[in-house]
Amino acid sequence: MTGRDPIIVVRDLHVYFYTHAGIVRAVDGISFTVYRGETFCLVGETGCGKSVTAKALARIVPPPGKIVKGEIIFYPEPGKPIDVTKLGEKELERIRGRLIAYVFQDPSAALDPLYTVGYQLAETVKHHGIVKSFKEGFQLAAKLFRKVLMPDADERVKAYPHELSGGMKQRSVIAISLSTEPKLLIADEPTTALDVTVQAQVMDVLKRLKEEKNLTLILITHNMGLVAEMCDRVAVMYAGKIVEEAPVDELFKQPLHPYTKMLLQAVPDPSRRVERLESIPGSVPNPLNLPPGCRFHPRCPHALKRCREEEPPEVYVSPSHRVVCWLYAGGRRG
Amino acid sequence: MADLKKFLVRRLITFIPTLIGATFLVFLVAVVVPADPARLWAGGEKADPRVVELLRKEYHLDEPIWVQYYYFMVNLITNRMVSPVTHENVWSTILERLPVTLQLALFSFTLVVAVGVPLGIIAALKRDTIVDYLIRAFAAIGMSMPIFWFAYILIFVFYTNLGWTTLAGNPTPAKTITGLPILDAILLGDWRTVCQIVERFWLPSLVLAWPSIGFVARLVRNSFLDAMSADFVEYIIARGLPKTTLYKHVLRNALVPVVTVLGLIFGGLLAGAPITETIFALPGIGMLMIQSIQNYDYLTLIGGVFFIGLIYLTINLVVDILYAIIDPRIRY
Ligand SMILES: Nc1ncnc2c1ncn2[C@@H]1O[C@H](COP(=O)(O)OP(=O)(O)OP(=O)(O)O)[C@@H](O)[C@H]1O
Ligand SMILES: [Mg+2]
Repeated sequence: MTGRDPIIVVRDLHVYFYTHAGIVRAVDGISFTVYRGETFCLVGETGCGKSVTAKALARIVPPPGKIVKGEIIFYPEPGKPIDVTKLGEKELERIRGRLIAYVFQDPSAALDPLYTVGYQLAETVKHHGIVKSFKEGFQLAAKLFRKVLMPDADERVKAYPHELSGGMKQRSVIAISLSTEPKLLIADEPTTALDVTVQAQVMDVLKRLKEEKNLTLILITHNMGLVAEMCDRVAVMYAGKIVEEAPVDELFKQPLHPYTKMLLQAVPDPSRRVERLESIPGSVPNPLNLPPGCRFHPRCPHALKRCREEEPPEVYVSPSHRVVCWLYAGGRRG
Repeated sequence: MADLKKFLVRRLITFIPTLIGATFLVFLVAVVVPADPARLWAGGEKADPRVVELLRKEYHLDEPIWVQYYYFMVNLITNRMVSPVTHENVWSTILERLPVTLQLALFSFTLVVAVGVPLGIIAALKRDTIVDYLIRAFAAIGMSMPIFWFAYILIFVFYTNLGWTTLAGNPTPAKTITGLPILDAILLGDWRTVCQIVERFWLPSLVLAWPSIGFVARLVRNSFLDAMSADFVEYIIARGLPKTTLYKHVLRNALVPVVTVLGLIFGGLLAGAPITETIFALPGIGMLMIQSIQNYDYLTLIGGVFFIGLIYLTINLVVDILYAIIDPRIRY
């Protein structure tokens, strides 16, 4: 882990969706810090608020979603904080892409089908003043496409998204997102929509570019194998809250929260050649109607009476390992 | 481009059967009506039997339907078909009527595009506000309002009460260049005639365009909203690109379905507007066809059908080509 120089500090973030059916508390009071140069992972089942958290960081949560509370302090340079929640639309446009960039899950949907991938890269770098003309933008595109190991990079610049395979599309998205030389890259399940065979290649490209450009990476994934391979620190989310956060080795060796344990069990252990996927019993609660007390208690095998009534406290079992669970409230260690 | 050539050839091959099918159907309907066309054409009850006989021969009326149809088509295509009612060459009659119809279609189409598209975009941008509801209500009313009723209300207001329009005549400039009066008038710089043409045509064009304006507004609104909710919009915002860039992408995506519909609407407008032309006494192709039906002049009628079919198919072809230009995913 590199120093203790934070690049982004999130404090008590709440993001709610005001829908006709009611208020969806998608992100409900989460705090975390990501340090410069590291890879920080967000894991959790579908619908637990990972993507919404990620989008909140550059304020691109779509309506009817709103950041109702909390701070997002971003340090483009050490010691120069910007509170993202207080910025106006113009200032946000300068941060988005230029300092904080995204790679989304489905590259087919992220690209405009009517423009060539080279054009979409060129318009991005031109807008952010990295090149002066579209022509230079296309030249830069070819160069960056070679960097993401796009086969026939010079030709592919002129290709439309539908003419590329899923893996090639995601490579172009990575090239576009990194074309502005951002400080922080947020990759939201960047390989989920891809064939298993290309997943590893695309991840390799990301990993290599991260090292080369000294990027900070926030990686969202369901894939525990990927977490083990890529991450420095992991935060586990459940129903809009972070339930546990720890350095990756510690989390795998000594998971504390019952939900984390179940998540890890649900993954087939590659060393034991277990074919069966132990899925987690029960399902994520409806975010419109969250259970009182600990949100995990209906599915928790260790639920106490208190779990049903009172929200669990945040317990630091070590300076870098925290868990939000009644089981550890007495300073007890799992 | 080789693809384009192949595509055009393929389309031309389907052109011919489509035209034959359409004209043959109308021919069939006209011929099965139990009437004696030769007698009608020759003057009805008091017709001279010799003339009747001559007409029968001339138009092969004693022969089977498909033989009649064959001679009819051959004569039509070789431009030798003369209407027994008007005694005029069928093609000449149609081409004479074309400028009025074309002018009406152009005016209406301009209204559809200039009003329908912006209304749709405004409704989408102001979605779920009172503005959106008003535009949608207007669209629904426009699409369901009977044209003849609406036309007479407008005539009452704008002609009878306000006198903002004329209802007779077909203003043309002194010289013909292209044959289209409005274009010639503009080319000649004859602004008086331009004004007269606008005065004569704006109301029928509005009546004709009205239902399509609502339809296009609704379509544009929905496809704009579809495009706005596409995932690439999120990625454009995430890259910090400005609103202008965002709308450029959204508009182009939203236009893909709109172009098809606009093309078909233009084809429909050109195909003549029998009701509007009749109400406003505009001697276009629509009116010609109504007159032909009334006079049992089915030869002119089918000539009209043939012409409209030709226009429709051509416009379809143009739309398909345009479509491929806007949307690179389309393959010929
Ligand atoms: N536009 C929206 N309108 C209403 N609710 C939304 C919207 N977007 C997300 N949500 C809600 O926010 C919650 C969190 O969604 P989010 O997309 O962050 O989940 P996720 O953890 O990324 O899941 P996945 O693994 O499937 O991507 C979900 O319950 C979802 O219903
Ligand atoms: Mg997600």
